[in-house]
Amino acid sequence: MYAIEVKNLGKAYTHKGKKIEAVKGISFKIKKGEIYGLLGPNGAGKSTTINILSGTLLKDSGTVKILGRDPDKDSEYVRNNINVASAYYSLPNALTIYENLKVFAKFYNVKNYKEKVNSLLEMFDLKGIKNKKTSALSTGERTRVSLCKGFINDPKVLLLDECTVGLDPDIAEKTRNIIKDYQKNQGVSILFTSHYMYEVEELCNNISFLSEGKILKTDSAENLKKLIKNFTVEIDFIKTNRMLKNFFKEKGMDVLFMGKNTAIFEISASGDRLYKILNSLFKRGFKIKDLRIKRPTLDDIFIKISRGSVK
Amino acid sequence: MKFYRINALLLKTYYISKNSLDRIFDIFYWPIIDLFLYSFATLYIMSLSEINLLSVFLGGIFLWSFIWRSSQDIAVFILEDFWSRSLYYLFASPVTITEIMISTMLIGMIRSIISFLTMATLGMLIFSFNIFSIDILALVLFISIIMLFGWFIGIFVTAMMFRFGLRIQVLAWSLAFLIMPFSCVFYALSALPNWAQNIAVLLPTTHVFESLRSVLNNGPILWGGIAYSISITVLLLIISSVFLGVSLKRAKKTGLLTRYS
Repeated sequence: MYAIEVKNLGKAYTHKGKKIEAVKGISFKIKKGEIYGLLGPNGAGKSTTINILSGTLLKDSGTVKILGRDPDKDSEYVRNNINVASAYYSLPNALTIYENLKVFAKFYNVKNYKEKVNSLLEMFDLKGIKNKKTSALSTGERTRVSLCKGFINDPKVLLLDECTVGLDPDIAEKTRNIIKDYQKNQGVSILFTSHYMYEVEELCNNISFLSEGKILKTDSAENLKKLIKNFTVEIDFIKTNRMLKNFFKEKGMDVLFMGKNTAIFEISASGDRLYKILNSLFKRGFKIKDLRIKRPTLDDIFIKISRGSVK
Repeated sequence: MKFYRINALLLKTYYISKNSLDRIFDIFYWPIIDLFLYSFATLYIMSLSEINLLSVFLGGIFLWSFIWRSSQDIAVFILEDFWSRSLYYLFASPVTITEIMISTMLIGMIRSIISFLTMATLGMLIFSFNIFSIDILALVLFISIIMLFGWFIGIFVTAMMFRFGLRIQVLAWSLAFLIMPFSCVFYALSALPNWAQNIAVLLPTTHVFESLRSVLNNGPILWGGIAYSISITVLLLIISSVFLGVSLKRAKKTGLLTRYS
């Protein structure tokens, strides 16, 4: 049984008389205990997918199963066992952080709510401001309160929608560590959406690239990175001349940029090609000042997949 | 439906009331203003005539406070979630719309009773008018019908908000007052022009206020009108609840729920 099973999910909105297809028949499965990433630019359909799974938006077509059950038919069970945190939504403004968390703990019938709320406040560095009204919080503080709310019922499935938006880099890193530890200790299944590739790469076991409502590719971060076979190499020479251009031409290299003293080219990540090229450069007397090797990131892969240059 | 979730929703509305001065303020402020406004106007009218109108006016305003308070509280406590953009988390939780409505009805009832008791006490102390001098069962019956009608307005306005969004939020404050002139709160049905009587007679509230005036003048409860009021109010409650369910489903379909969250 999968934690989440989505088949041919479709959703369209009508905006000013125009039909907009936000999600176009996507399918994916999330194993128990897995962190699964939905990655894509704004408008890709990530939040629409999360909203459907959270029960706040009705789908047009397809099937959704959470913990083996249909959330429309068995909403009591499903909603008690999932939770959601998003950077885009807030908790009631008139309540303090502590009051909000206490109310939500009671919605989920959390027995030891005092302990639970206090441990979450501690975990997300909110203890000192627990009596501050939600309306007076900064964006980052609101996001952390939303995350506390997301963990309040020890969910079996956690939906995290862009939950690190607005956080300071150190808090964002701490949040990612909390999510990783929590997943490790509790075995929770997490659907994580973000448009920050490095975040998804760091956290997720499997990743789906989403663009214009469609899944372009699904795989692990490692396998996805293998789709790009080349490294990008950037070399600063002490001095270059026309011979260098000829050298790259002669070697059949794909030169991306040739400046006054800099050359950027792609080279196969496998084998000893880079060693051989560098060796030849030395032998021909080219003096290298600096060398940088850029490994492919998920950003590069996403761009290539969306442009159709990698399949 | 789970009682612990209704308790949690009541706790939430208690925190909203406790933390927002205006939510406490409006339990006392407007009822007291109304009490003085209508009492002084009545005392002036009484000085010009022989008829004792004080009980009619005060009885009317005491009972009216239940419609106003209970309808507004349902809509405004839902509006709090619209304004906070917190509807999303509310509807992503196990809480159901039935539990939300029950909790807001209960909080509206509690706040209405506080407003009513405040007015009743001041009416007794300042104007020597004792609303409890009438048959207590009759009073409970009138209050119950009036409150049910207030709940109908609150549910209807909430359904409209889920259907059309915040652009119709003004209904939360105004709809009850649109009904007031035709409900014959301070005057007999016969005092209205014919066209207005045709509207007024259809409203369940009219018959309750007619009965109240009869009882205040030591007359009987007008059972025909009361039976009509109960039937229509229950029917309106059922229709508005169905409308709310349909509106909420539509809000989830169109994405309004996530847009206003």
